[in-house]
Amino acid sequence: MIIISPYAKPLPKGGVNPKNYPYWTELLKLIREPVIQVGVDGEQQLTQDFRKNLSLSDLAILVSQCRTWISCDSFFQHFCWDLGKPGIVLWGQSDPLIYGHPENINLLKDRSYLYHNQFLSWDLIPMRQDCFVEPERVLAHLI
Amino acid sequence: MIRNNILCSISTKGRYFTTLPLAIAAVINQTQLPKRLVIFDDNDEPQDMRQQSVYTNFFQIMDIKGIEWQWLWAGKKGQHHNHQISNTMGYDWVWRVDDDTIPEPNVLENLSKYCSDDIGAVGGSIFTPSWKMEPTEVTGLIDNIYQEPNIQWFPITQVKEVEHLHCSFLYRAGVADYNLGLSRVAHREETLFTYELKHRGYRILAVPDAVTWHLKSPTGGIRDTHIAELFDQDEKIFQNTINMRDKTIVVLNNGMGDHIMFKPVLKDIKNPVVFSCYPEIIPGRSIQEAKDLFGDIEQWNIYAKMDQWHWTESVEKAFRKLYGV
Repeated sequence: MIIISPYAKPLPKGGVNPKNYPYWTELLKLIREPVIQVGVDGEQQLTQDFRKNLSLSDLAILVSQCRTWISCDSFFQHFCWDLGKPGIVLWGQSDPLIYGHPENINLLKDRSYLYHNQFLSWDLIPMRQDCFVEPERVLAHLI
Repeated sequence: MIRNNILCSISTKGRYFTTLPLAIAAVINQTQLPKRLVIFDDNDEPQDMRQQSVYTNFFQIMDIKGIEWQWLWAGKKGQHHNHQISNTMGYDWVWRVDDDTIPEPNVLENLSKYCSDDIGAVGGSIFTPSWKMEPTEVTGLIDNIYQEPNIQWFPITQVKEVEHLHCSFLYRAGVADYNLGLSRVAHREETLFTYELKHRGYRILAVPDAVTWHLKSPTGGIRDTHIAELFDQDEKIFQNTINMRDKTIVVLNNGMGDHIMFKPVLKDIKNPVVFSCYPEIIPGRSIQEAKDLFGDIEQWNIYAKMDQWHWTESVEKAFRKLYGV
């Protein structure tokens, strides 16, 4: 079983968080094993099994049971790192050297896509779909 | 050791035509010149001093002497806001000069001689001409702040290590922050700032042969309001901070992921007092309580720090730098 955590925290002023991976639908079509989505109320459901609003202890139990996980740059990647469970992080404009953990597979398309100021509120950074790796490349690291 | 990357900072209000020109003249006649002079103009109705011949001459002299200069319209929020801007302008050291003082010509040179790697701030005597100035035994310890006068008010005959300074001094920039939660009168701002430098492991010195004359101009001044409530409010912030002097104050006003990245850092902090947004991840008191106690918590904003430091390493390492572990 694989866990996906598709979405970063909603932006205070609304709109799409530029850290969100834009190709989840395409990626999920390529995965041939059970997938559980975790998240919170208000997030789009992408899988049949969507566990919302889990407590940290329940989330930890679920993580301990998965083969691996895939996440955008969000709380979840730090949570799994703290549990000692490595997985795949899909990076766009945030810098894995600052916000990532080397224990994970950090998939960054190219450092030229990183936003020039890494410390602004994400409200101020425009969404770019082209800065993320393609689903096929994610799949290659999942096997 | 003479340092060169020094910014001289003056905040001014209501003294265009009284003591400010004297202070500027004293700065540009130092035996060691600062790299830049920045003047924060906090006047309610700022004027363009390039129209005044005395100032025009000052600006020309600075150009001739190679002193960069800058005149900024300040935010009228108190001099601590101006000093914090100076503190983060990228200079190694900042020399604070009040707008009603006249530093003798050797002050910057003599202060900067002491600026070795373990020094946080250096101050000399600040004499008010009408006051009686006799050598007096003053410890300069924070515990004695309510029992003794400021050490800089008296002749300093030998180098003395202290825990705080109170007036004009030269300090290491970009290490400690001014408490921006203080009111616009900024009562105790110098004490809190220099004590924070001490708390971060740097030595604070009161040194001889660096005399500044304080004219105590009866008009104008950056603290020209005398509202008792503002002084009381600032005094409370001061006391709350000093009461925790044996602790390391940790304020985590950030996201869940940041709290997790902070977890390995916490183990290395001695005597932490933690204020946290997510006590289920990092147990602690509330952020509102931190704001109530210290007035402002921006000095613990890890994102502002990383931006200020042009940070390129991990968030965990940034936390380690912020908390000195």
